Amino acid sequence: MSLNELSEKVGLTLSNLSILKTGKAKAIRFSTLEAICEVLNCQPGDILEYVNH
Amino acid sequence: MEIKITTTQILKVLQVLSWIIFIGLCIEAGGIAVNTAITLFIHPHGAKNFWEGSDYLSKLYAFDHGYFLVITLIMTVVAVLKAMLFYLIVRLFADKKLNISQPFSRCLRKFILNLSYFSLGVGFMAHLGYKYALWLSQHGLEKADLQALRLGGADVWIFLAVILLVIAQLVKRGIEIQNENDLTI
Repeated sequence: MSLNELSEKVGLTLSNLSILKTGKAKAIRFSTLEAICEVLNCQPGDILEYVNH
Repeated sequence: MEIKITTTQILKVLQVLSWIIFIGLCIEAGGIAVNTAITLFIHPHGAKNFWEGSDYLSKLYAFDHGYFLVITLIMTVVAVLKAMLFYLIVRLFADKKLNISQPFSRCLRKFILNLSYFSLGVGFMAHLGYKYALWLSQHGLEKADLQALRLGGADVWIFLAVILLVIAQLVKRGIEIQNENDLTI
C-alpha cells in the first residue's frame, strides 16, 4: 500500500504520515492509532517498538 | 444584527494606532533634541519653544547650562526609547511575523523580551530624571513638573517591564506546548 493510499484511508495528511514515518512524532492520538491498525489490520504492538536511547 | 469583531480586525486597528503613536513619539523626540540644540548653540531663548515645561526649562537654562543639558538629554533619551518601543511594534506588523494559526514563536518571545528591556530603560531613565530634578530643587530651583517634562510614571514603566518579562516566560512554555502539538498526529 502506498503512503497516498494509506493517508486517504486513515484520514491523515501526507505530512503527518511523513512525521510518523521519519520518527519525528512526539505523540500519537489513540484515534489515529486505532485508524491505522484498522486499515492495516494489525495490533498496536505490530507497528510500535520501544528503543532504549 | 450581531456584529462580530475578529482578531484580524483588532490587529489592523492596533497597527494603525501603533503607526500614529510612533510618528508622534518621533516628532516629540526630534523636537526635544532640536530645541535643546537651538537653545544651547543658536538662540538662548529657544527654551521657550519646548511644548510643555518651557517655563521650568527656561529657568533651568538661566540657572545653569549644564543642568539644562542633563535634563534635556534625559528627556531625549526617554522619548527615543519610547519611539523605539513603538518601532518594534510597527515592525512586527510590517514584517507580518504574527501567525494567527501558530502564534507562539521564538520571534514573538524575542519581541516581548525586547519590549520589556525598552520599558525597563524608559522606567530607569524616567526615575533618573525624577531624582535629578529632585536634587535640583534642593539647590534653589523650583520643583519640576515631571508630567510636563515627559518623565512621569517611572514606576509604571518598570511594572510594565516586569509584566512583559513574565509573559515572555509564559510564551516560552507556549512554544514548547505548540511544538509538541505540531508533532502530535
